[in-house]
Amino acid sequence: MKNDHSGGGGAGPAVGGPRPSPGFNRRSFLKAAGFTLAGAMVAGCDRRKVERAIPYLVKPEEVIPGTPTWYASTCGGCEAACGILIKNRDGRPIKIEGNPGHPLSGGGLCATGQAMVLSLYDSHRLRKPLLRGAETAWEEIDRVVTGRLTGLSGGEKGVRILTGSSPGPTTLAAVEAFLARFPDGKHVTVDALSASAISDAHEACYGRRFVPHYRFDRAKVIASFDADFLGTWLSPVEFTRAYRAGRSIDGTTPSMSHHVQFESRMSLTGSNADRRVVTRPDEQYRLLLRLTALVDRRAGRSPVTPDPGPDPAHEDELRRLAAALHARRGEGLVVCGSNHLPSQLLVAYLNHALGNTGAAADLASASGCRRGSDAAAAELLRELDGGGVGLLIVCDANPAYDWPGEGTFAAAISKADLSVVFASHANETSSVADIVLPRAHPLEEWDDAQPVPDLASVRQPAITPFGETRSLMSCLYRWAGDPVTDLEAIRRHWRANLYPRRATAAGTFDTFWNDTVYGGFARLKPGVASPGTFNGSAMNRCGGPGPRTRELVLELYPTVGLLDGRHAHNPWLQELPDPVTKVVWDNYASVSPATAADLGLRQEDIVRITPGGVALELPVLIQPGQADGTVAVALGYGRMGTDRFSGVGPEWFEAVHTVEPGETVGRNAGQAREMREGAIANWVVVPRPTQTGGTRVLARTQEYDSLTMPAGLAPEDGEPRPIIQEATLAAYAVSRTAGGHGKHELFDIWPDEHQFPNHRWAMSIDLTACTGCSACVVGCQAENNIPVVGKDEVSRNREMAWLRIDRYYSGDHGDVRVSHQPMLCQHCEHAPCETVCPTLATVHNDEGLNQQVYNRCVGTRYCSNNCPYKIRRFNWFDYPRGDEMARLVLNPDVAVRERGIMEKCSFCVQRIQEGKIRAREEHRPVADGDVKTACEQSCPAQAIVFGDLRDPESRISKLQSNPRMFRVLEETGTAPSIAYMTLVRNEGGADG
Amino acid sequence: MNNRLLGIFLGTGLLFCLTIFLTSYANNVRLPGNDEGYEPVQPVAYSHRLHAGELGLACLHCHSDAGRSRNAGIPTLQTCMDCHKFVTAPILDIRAEDERATAAKEKPRRIVSAELRKLYAAAGLDDDLRPVQPDGTGAGAQSIGWVRVHALPDFVYFNHGAHVSAGVECQTCHGAIETMERVRQVSDLSMGWCVNCHRGANATGVGGSAVAAPTDCAGCHY
Repeated sequence: MKNDHSGGGGAGPAVGGPRPSPGFNRRSFLKAAGFTLAGAMVAGCDRRKVERAIPYLVKPEEVIPGTPTWYASTCGGCEAACGILIKNRDGRPIKIEGNPGHPLSGGGLCATGQAMVLSLYDSHRLRKPLLRGAETAWEEIDRVVTGRLTGLSGGEKGVRILTGSSPGPTTLAAVEAFLARFPDGKHVTVDALSASAISDAHEACYGRRFVPHYRFDRAKVIASFDADFLGTWLSPVEFTRAYRAGRSIDGTTPSMSHHVQFESRMSLTGSNADRRVVTRPDEQYRLLLRLTALVDRRAGRSPVTPDPGPDPAHEDELRRLAAALHARRGEGLVVCGSNHLPSQLLVAYLNHALGNTGAAADLASASGCRRGSDAAAAELLRELDGGGVGLLIVCDANPAYDWPGEGTFAAAISKADLSVVFASHANETSSVADIVLPRAHPLEEWDDAQPVPDLASVRQPAITPFGETRSLMSCLYRWAGDPVTDLEAIRRHWRANLYPRRATAAGTFDTFWNDTVYGGFARLKPGVASPGTFNGSAMNRCGGPGPRTRELVLELYPTVGLLDGRHAHNPWLQELPDPVTKVVWDNYASVSPATAADLGLRQEDIVRITPGGVALELPVLIQPGQADGTVAVALGYGRMGTDRFSGVGPEWFEAVHTVEPGETVGRNAGQAREMREGAIANWVVVPRPTQTGGTRVLARTQEYDSLTMPAGLAPEDGEPRPIIQEATLAAYAVSRTAGGHGKHELFDIWPDEHQFPNHRWAMSIDLTACTGCSACVVGCQAENNIPVVGKDEVSRNREMAWLRIDRYYSGDHGDVRVSHQPMLCQHCEHAPCETVCPTLATVHNDEGLNQQVYNRCVGTRYCSNNCPYKIRRFNWFDYPRGDEMARLVLNPDVAVRERGIMEKCSFCVQRIQEGKIRAREEHRPVADGDVKTACEQSCPAQAIVFGDLRDPESRISKLQSNPRMFRVLEETGTAPSIAYMTLVRNEGGADG
Repeated sequence: MNNRLLGIFLGTGLLFCLTIFLTSYANNVRLPGNDEGYEPVQPVAYSHRLHAGELGLACLHCHSDAGRSRNAGIPTLQTCMDCHKFVTAPILDIRAEDERATAAKEKPRRIVSAELRKLYAAAGLDDDLRPVQPDGTGAGAQSIGWVRVHALPDFVYFNHGAHVSAGVECQTCHGAIETMERVRQVSDLSMGWCVNCHRGANATGVGGSAVAAPTDCAGCHY
């Protein structure tokens, strides 16, 4: 039956196709088929499978089966400790969202934070303690460790605790109390993505080691040297929110900060900058010196640091910037992502000299992020090598993976008498440790955090731990003879230390604590009164710039999502397209087009790069807008255990492994870094790379990069495709419709318009606010049960994301400009997909939604062919959930689509229905903001507004009159429900 | 050859048709997925007729989530025990034992009915309602696995709360539950049945007040 396509459909006359054989003609075939069908129906008529409905024995008071319970907590994805709300359905966390009340992160949450819910359901996580590789009981671990501790109280050998910056105040107190018992006990903090030089510079300038709390909302002029603060630097969610707050242009006078980015690779932050200056990383110190000299001269001082003289390439840019910073003294901000002490000293000086330290570079409030010290870690390495460490405890750090130099830390750890490593998965460090202790997931444990001195937050468990896990603080207290639970320890610490500092005076400790657990955070009185005075002599450490070189420089950078590699086990993040390159499932050697031509490299050629004895073999990616003479490689890849993803994606005869069995996803570039001037440098000079002769496919979700029409199709004036509207602030100040392509002449072939009696849902996306951070992409994936398809399927353009972010390049090579545009189903009023569906599986409803009805869809894919926005996704397979446990993350309110049907953005219709039902239960109309789509909720920049056009008071209704509004491909007459708002850049710094 | 093959097909088809025709009289056979009349035996012979009909307990007394959640909720064992820690057997049995004890001039024994014994066993209690495992952990308690009667396919999202708060009576969909000894599915729960009711409700309102019952696909399918 399957082979005879001309007859199998049964409907309509057969046209073409093979002629039926005279022996068994079409007519008899149909008869037989009909009877067979009837037979099958009867055969299928048995009673259904018995399903059990098992109620609770005693129901927890707050749980209502079928209704989500929300817990306020603190994100554990990185050190930024954003506020989160955990959505629990029927006892299991299924989604993480930003906590709208949180003072720093607001309601937004980055891609990493949202993907944390998937790593909870990971069967590869460690569940039991390991003693020299064998599973054992906690009692045995306690016995071994305390046995070792008694031998250390004499002080012959040291006790060292190595952590990242994640530990909160209670854990730090536990560490301190534990180490106080030993004559030679030390706590070393190290960050894989180190900002050690910032702390060191502030120690030199202010006598206190700290990272300032940067407040981008207070800055009118932002000068960033390689700091990817919207993507991966310190606290990206908070910074994105603040950056957006400083760039609001819809008031009567547009007020927009001016952002200049100096960088070598194309970072997410650079792609959003008003001006982007492409410079090699080894030139940045020279530029900073020149900028300092120019700023000093403007202020009438002689420069405190050597003046390298006019820069041949960027002198105009530096002069403009110095003038802008000087004019906006006290309202500017200089930040630097380089881990180079003299550069950071200049930045600290610039912020001081420009009077920014009271405002945007807040010194009174130190950030808790990346407070590690590379020098202290290097000292620990020496101690370990010298055999002077009796007990080493490592938690929230993986130095054997990311410390510079291949195998240096791994070899050193084995020289400690006893090494104890806390790890969520078997990792590079745990594999050389004597004792490996399972680390709980942040959704399973009690913990706390203090991102800034006047804000403390609590992390609470949303589920019983899957494994026999114990936290660092609990172990330390227990080994010190004070066995307390985490909750008791945290309450005790808060009662003694944080409760007396509470911002609101009233209330007992219990009400203070309950309010904190309920809301997720507590405001405290600021701790440090005075930032101290600036010590000008520190600037003597800033020497002259080194000689200019033309050598090839390798820059190592973290990616949005995976960061330093700690999330390498998370398939959502592995398949999250890089915001700029759009590559998934790999790292690569990114070079500029000119450098590629110089070196004779083509896209996807494998090259061998040999920085300092480490050999990296990576495919080439040609990246417009990158500095010539540089190669950029992402950190966080090549993690142990990522060979688990070789089988991710569907199995079929042409399937290609995402990674070859036994290989890792990408290659580890962290060990290619080197220690320079007391800090881990993020760039190194490398010899000319050699081609291995091989190639490796890079799976990209976007292969069209330009808005400019191909020469053969372009009109004479060469106008770019009007998909994105862009304008400069200067032009926008003159005319609010600047950048608009003018109104299109629209005509309508549909005589009867849709009626929208109750609601009409619509969305707007502000391209000025959107940074392309991709938080919405993961938010959508978590909300709508979007499967992971693997590298091979992505390279066949079969990724399933309902929401993608299109990134377009414009301008020439020297000055590449980037625009990001989230693209999702436009819910067209005259939807091209609807008219071609033969089974009416995609139809319009009376609330403006373009519905996709899975149970009607037969998978003709006509709709996808006819969609001008290319947002429809076809289920080529039943996508396996890579991990059996990963099914537990599925949202029970959204159907899991099966093979052979089409799917696409539904405007989170499950949330619309929930909002309407909640309003009905409360006997009130649906209010604006009751329904938030997952993308809107997650957006740190609040670029997305969703609402009801029938409600004249809704935000979306009010935005309709905004002159920046435009619709993509409006001229085709599809009448989309999604409106975009012109991207405005403050290129001239002409701020109103 | 051709005619013979056709004959076999037609003959088989005829046989199937005949089977459908006959069994539809005998056993009320319906299309696949239509479970109208499903009346499974439950692990405990709980009587809705007694509780909801004779005793007049409100539906929401036990199915307390029906007004506020997607699921109506099956009462927890604790809900049952709220009453059944006192009521251990049908009242007639207890009265009979009282009369017997009075006649025999002895203290009446505790009467535990066979069905309630299953309930107590599930709660980890013996006939005297003392924990079987006296360690106080509640070990031995095992929730009752009721057999689900009303089930919709996975691509349909039904919300009890929306219907109850709109004033729809439970009996509109579930039938006269208060007369059923064992719960039976009285409606076919098909899409046509749902949509007809929604259309009617939009035309006439529910309980005198106007409602906006969705009739578009995305009302239930997403």
